[in-house]
Amino acid sequence: MTTATAAPRPLTNRTLGVVRLQLINTQSLVWVPLIVLAGAVAISLMIIPLIPFESTRIVGSAQAPLWYFVALGVQAMTLAFPFSQAMSITRREFFVGTLILGVIASAMMASIFILLAGFEVLSDGYWMNGHIAYLPYLFESGWIVGWLIYFTVTMFLFVIGFWMATIWKRFGTFAVVSIGVALALLVTFAIFLITKMQWWVAVVSWFVDIGVLGVTLGGLALTAVLALGTYATLRRATV
Amino acid sequence: MDSVIQVRDLTKTYKNTTALDGIDFDIERNTIYGLLGRNGAGKTTAMSILTAQNFATAGSVRVFGEDPYENPRVLSRMCFVRESQKYPDEATARSAFRSAAMFFPNWDQAFCDRLIDEFQVPMKTIIKKLSRGQLSAVGVIIGLASRAEITFFDEPYLGLDAVARQIFYDRLLEDYAEHPRTIILSSHLIDEISHLIERVLVIDKGRIIMDQSAEEARERATNVVGDAEAVESLVAGREVLHREGLGRVASVTFLGTLTEEERRAVEASGLELAPVPLQQLIVRLTQHQNTSETEGALR
Repeated sequence: MTTATAAPRPLTNRTLGVVRLQLINTQSLVWVPLIVLAGAVAISLMIIPLIPFESTRIVGSAQAPLWYFVALGVQAMTLAFPFSQAMSITRREFFVGTLILGVIASAMMASIFILLAGFEVLSDGYWMNGHIAYLPYLFESGWIVGWLIYFTVTMFLFVIGFWMATIWKRFGTFAVVSIGVALALLVTFAIFLITKMQWWVAVVSWFVDIGVLGVTLGGLALTAVLALGTYATLRRATV
Repeated sequence: MDSVIQVRDLTKTYKNTTALDGIDFDIERNTIYGLLGRNGAGKTTAMSILTAQNFATAGSVRVFGEDPYENPRVLSRMCFVRESQKYPDEATARSAFRSAAMFFPNWDQAFCDRLIDEFQVPMKTIIKKLSRGQLSAVGVIIGLASRAEITFFDEPYLGLDAVARQIFYDRLLEDYAEHPRTIILSSHLIDEISHLIERVLVIDKGRIIMDQSAEEARERATNVVGDAEAVESLVAGREVLHREGLGRVASVTFLGTLTEEERRAVEASGLELAPVPLQQLIVRLTQHQNTSETEGALR
């Protein structure tokens, strides 16, 4: 009934073991995002010819797989944390291992987008001037920055999902919903304030001043802060 | 005494309930413990705190002399698969065992393979779809094959049939003889595990009400059956745990043992003495504790 399997070597690095443990959920972590990506690209390719002008035709639907990383972050926490505890893994090891998983997945997603962007440039936008991944303003400062932008957005969304799921584990549904509502109120209020005080010009020129790279690095820093928040929450989380 | 775990004044309170109420105990190296008590007595809470899966409200826990919290040195020497253990959604028994092999330094794959055969665990079905018994078997196999220096089994037999439970008890004892380690078996099937355990730790309502060797525990109480009057005169002045009567015949369980002299006298007078099985003792002790508490409250 069973075949004797050779025992894997006991790990000297338990943190990397967490990445392997996470990848037990191959379907949720690998195949579903790829299917979402393929579906989003296919839908975009069907939409592009419908755009009634001939100049650069941009569709945003390929963002879908990036948004899916919120779900990925949630699943990385909820599907694997209880089992990691049974494997006598510390919360720190689980946190760092899961973050490494997020970095690897985000880097792969960013690389796929860069390849797609490269193909778009070479093929004149799928021979119909359409752009899914190659959005000119993202590539203003070159391809490396373009890659970094995709990586940052993906990682940022992954960490948001990871933190939300950790808050849910530790404090329950009520806390997650409250935080969500509070954030929505805060953003709405900020928009209201900026509009009311007629600050939009200042805000936009501020963003232009720091440039795409500046905004991206800011996003990375924000992601790091969110990750620290996740760790602080996870330290006292129970299964 | 060579203890691997020291618990001092451990308290755990949830919003309105006290799960553990300032308990103290030590766990000795290379001993099989029975951690016994009713549902909700605090057994799982205690094991969760010892393995840093949960947090104490107050008090201290030392495992191998150190705080287990966020301590991979200590944690990697322990194994605690809970009764309601959740596995990754897509995990099969195979992938769960592969993970265990990565994280438990003493993992024995050959032993694991043998147990898989004996428990007849399907390896390719995802764990979510296994029966309750098969699910328990996965946890039992991880606990046994990890050969961790301190292994906790939390109600390991749920859903296991009699044959599978016997396999578990047999393999546990065999492997323990070859690879001595500390085993903490939480259970309420006390009779079934009473021949396995060397020490008894009984928790009731968050308090330790018994912490002694299984041998001492068995000698702790005596049961006497016979003519009601004779029985009553014998137990007068002793702490009675339980009384049953049927007409002129009474059966009384009391704490303590008789001297050789008393024993001869009792037998001469036609009363029958019997040892009290561990399960009986614990049930009676638990009930006794509760009634004396209510009486205390009434006064």
